[in-house]
Amino acid sequence: MPSLDKIKRGCKTRQTFQESPTEFCNKREPKPNGHGPYEVNQREVQNKKGSLSYYYNKFFASGRSRPQAQKSSAAEDEGMDPTQYYENRLKALAAQKVAGNNPYPHKFAASLTIPDYVKKYESLNSGDHLEDVEERLAGRLMNKRSSSAKLFFYDLHGGGAKVQVMTDARKSNLDEEEFTKFHSSVKRGDIVGIIGFPGKSKRGELSIFPKTFIVLSHCLHMMPRQKIGPGSDSAKKTDVWVPGDGRNLEAYILKDQETRYRQRYLDLMLNMEVREIFKTRAKIISYIRSFLDQRDFLEVETPMMNMIAGGAAARPFVTHHNDLNMKLFMRIAPELYLKELVVGGLERVYEIGKQFRNEGIDLTHNPEFTTCEFYMAFADYNDVMELTEEMLSGMVKELTGGYKIKYHANGSDSDPIEIDFTPPFRRIDMIEELEKMANISIPKDLSSEETNKYLAAACVKFDIKCPPPQTTTRLLDKLVGHFLEETCINPTFIINHPEIMSPLAKWHRSKPGLTERFELFINKHELCNAYTELNDPVVQRQRFADQLKDRQSGDDEAMALDETFCTALEYGLPPTGGWGLGIDRLAMLLTDSQNIKEVLLFPAMKPQDEPSTKDSNKKTQDEPPSEELKKNVTLS
Amino acid sequence: MEVALQPLRLKQLLHFASSKANNNPFIIRNIRPFFVIRCCSTTTSSSSAATVDGGAPRQSGRNRRPSSTSTNSTSDREAVRAIRIKKVQELRSNGLDPYAYKWDRTHTANQLQEIYRTLGNGEESNSESDYVSIAGRIVARRAFGKLAFMTLRDDSGTIQLYCEKERLLSDQFEQLKTLVDIGDILGARGSIKRTEKGELSVCVNSFSILTKSLLPLPDKYHGLTDIDKRYRQRYVDMIANPEVADVFRKRAKIISEIRKTVESAGFVEVETPVLQGAAGGAEARPFITYHNSLGQDLYLRIATELHLKRMLVFEIVVEPKLMQPTFVLDYPIEISPLAKPHRRHAGLTERFELFICGREMANAFSELTDPLDQRERLEEQVKQHNKKKAAVVSEMSKAEDENESADDSYNVTLDEDFLTALEYGMPPASGMGLGIDRLVMLLTNSASIRDVIAFPVLKTLQ
Repeated sequence: MPSLDKIKRGCKTRQTFQESPTEFCNKREPKPNGHGPYEVNQREVQNKKGSLSYYYNKFFASGRSRPQAQKSSAAEDEGMDPTQYYENRLKALAAQKVAGNNPYPHKFAASLTIPDYVKKYESLNSGDHLEDVEERLAGRLMNKRSSSAKLFFYDLHGGGAKVQVMTDARKSNLDEEEFTKFHSSVKRGDIVGIIGFPGKSKRGELSIFPKTFIVLSHCLHMMPRQKIGPGSDSAKKTDVWVPGDGRNLEAYILKDQETRYRQRYLDLMLNMEVREIFKTRAKIISYIRSFLDQRDFLEVETPMMNMIAGGAAARPFVTHHNDLNMKLFMRIAPELYLKELVVGGLERVYEIGKQFRNEGIDLTHNPEFTTCEFYMAFADYNDVMELTEEMLSGMVKELTGGYKIKYHANGSDSDPIEIDFTPPFRRIDMIEELEKMANISIPKDLSSEETNKYLAAACVKFDIKCPPPQTTTRLLDKLVGHFLEETCINPTFIINHPEIMSPLAKWHRSKPGLTERFELFINKHELCNAYTELNDPVVQRQRFADQLKDRQSGDDEAMALDETFCTALEYGLPPTGGWGLGIDRLAMLLTDSQNIKEVLLFPAMKPQDEPSTKDSNKKTQDEPPSEELKKNVTLS
Repeated sequence: MEVALQPLRLKQLLHFASSKANNNPFIIRNIRPFFVIRCCSTTTSSSSAATVDGGAPRQSGRNRRPSSTSTNSTSDREAVRAIRIKKVQELRSNGLDPYAYKWDRTHTANQLQEIYRTLGNGEESNSESDYVSIAGRIVARRAFGKLAFMTLRDDSGTIQLYCEKERLLSDQFEQLKTLVDIGDILGARGSIKRTEKGELSVCVNSFSILTKSLLPLPDKYHGLTDIDKRYRQRYVDMIANPEVADVFRKRAKIISEIRKTVESAGFVEVETPVLQGAAGGAEARPFITYHNSLGQDLYLRIATELHLKRMLVFEIVVEPKLMQPTFVLDYPIEISPLAKPHRRHAGLTERFELFICGREMANAFSELTDPLDQRERLEEQVKQHNKKKAAVVSEMSKAEDENESADDSYNVTLDEDFLTALEYGMPPASGMGLGIDRLVMLLTNSASIRDVIAFPVLKTLQ
């Protein structure tokens, strides 16, 4: 189903999903007082890139130079200039290579993952040492403390869990001097393999006591450190975030948005919760897949590059196929191909995949985004509504244990709202309810000039801005946004859209001028769009013609594609219910994310070194359209 | 995943695909090819078309191809279409909906074939539980005086509709004879009977045209042999050749099995960008596009390595001989820019490619984790690329060739973000890439990659 940003409701009008004017991640420059030493580190490193091969040649390839012995201790490192730190690390690496050691071993076989280790040994008593047991763990060192030259403590992180490493010169295979030297070279951020025995410290901290300690990979940069100070208490809380809970980004060790999104690996290393966000995303997709598989839907793949971008109205990406010397468009929706497969006899098909829209980047829009669409022969929109309720409530139940989730709909400063997925969901009839809520009486013939004038007047009356072109569709969309969508906090179906708004939906079986369509709104935002599919090729052609009139753009390519699709319809599309869901938006809801970048591992980011001449243009594109802001203000 | 597990996993897959095929509930077992029937209804004639309105002149669409066969010529198609549009109007004027909203079915065709497998020839089952409802496309039809047989095909298989005038409601038999064509989608209710000839049938009490088709199916039951048209109009291919759908069912199962295998080993499925700010590597030509609001070129991600292997002369000799699944191990560093140096053999990497039937199926290696080594290798790649590009550019300017699609004319930049990530430390790791299309080709006995892709990219029609 043409997804989410709507066929033809004028893409731009639907761009915003609760933008806030204070969107941090769109800023071109890092905040001046951003992330203190860490920012400096990153920027310095960028500037130093050219010197890397210099070091490589000098210390590794030629082997002519003897690096200085490393003396720095953990404490000294803290005050060190990040560039100096990085250079020291490079020298230490080069020295190892010169000495004939491989600083990047090929393999370390762990006997257990760290979460499994915790599970296996967490019931030990304080002071227990199982010296006869050998375990092999691998992970990243995220903290280093020493109480003497013979005793070092580390936190070893992996798989979302951590365990203490308590390394004692007396238990090590190394002699005392070697031990001290070795451990002073081990840095926070290094990846290590440990062979040792399990136990608990006297203070009850689950630990591993190494006999052998191998550095597997080196962290050459100074790792951002958790700041001691206000807020660190909440960060220390060991409460693990689970889907349905609210999140507190303020408690993250790495808070800087730019860094978190541009260097996601740091985000994942430092903010333990982040891995849970992406696991939740994977679970959502996996739930949808198994839900549909169980109902005999077949997962298919349709082309991402097409000669024409169809199935929705949105600006496509254009590319070129060299061998075929052919212009190609990145898909904006898979709808038409999927319906062709239903014509071909695949009665239940679905596709989970990326769509591409060449539009602005903001809190709810990324140029590539993930949708699921399914098509079900012999079903209508009533069946699909029931399936939607079953799928979403079932998913929320499975992920959270209940039907209610917490969501910071009004920003992180306000208390989270509760969204209740208990089925059945509320259903509101679009035109009927709009007339009731606004106390208006829309003329019956929705395609008439009279209706257009009536709705334009209504918008003026309620001070609802609708920038030109003021087509009936756009006017209705604004009114519905104002009067209906704003009431949809818990999952709500808005149903029976007018034909003029829904060119691919079938006319309503009993309500003239309307279609059998629904959109699911949650927290005022559209999540699903679905309908009884229009399968009468004659009517479909007429609808496309009406669309073209409305659009007044006379796009020949759109015409050609429609023709192809209509030809498929002429072979006979069975009665079919079709459905589309925005997976990123669902993932945002279930992970209490207000920014789509929170649920995309590598979100599209602006180039870092943007020429300032373009800034003024950029700004207008990234900021929410003013009328949307107005809407929010009016209602708050 | 440990490399050592790979052969085992792939073997499971192979085993899966061959064993599951026999149990696949979707496999159509009951195709009865003895109905050899022309799909153009006998009432079709080109003379009647001229009198029917609604048959507007047709434009040529993206996939439209002027048909060359005489039996399915454009004028015949248009005639059929005109007649059927008239039938649509007739249905409407009779108060019937030629495009129904839904149909509740109790069984699929294949379920009925299974349930009534033991029903003897000439036997009938008409207790209440044997009153069934099915839906699908009519692919064959024979009508006699007061009796008509139709073959209905759904997603699962086929079943016969046994339509006796006396059993049908009111004037439905007349409707069936005059308004139902091959290609229409029907819903039917009735009891179960196996004919004397052994054909399991639904004895129809009532039926409903769910979707009236306007265009004739290919002129023979297995008639769509025009390969180009098969790819351009995949839905017609699937209607004409039901086994085509099996390829896509098997494709889904193969992917699902891969997913299950890695998930059960604790892997998390992730999505990484398709659109990238920099061309990922120097070894393949990327698609280039442009983001309007960023004002920036973007590159579509490419599969790495694929083009590099062409440089390896040895493969030209050896590959075609590798019929049984075979790992080719330890490729030279020069053609493996992301693989870790071999722990024992200087100049080689820890890498394998899996060959089956002379084709590369998988490519895997111990990942290079040393950021300095990685930087050197990528810098070398960029250098080589720029050298080639410069050569091409000077060649082009000599020839004054304006063709912008020349090889290597795109920019390759060093992926600093990736190198920085490595500098934060990547654990020893291995990675594998598997070509799913090729695997599906192998397991579905398909000769062309186009047979395993539902809508392959094709040349523009003139």
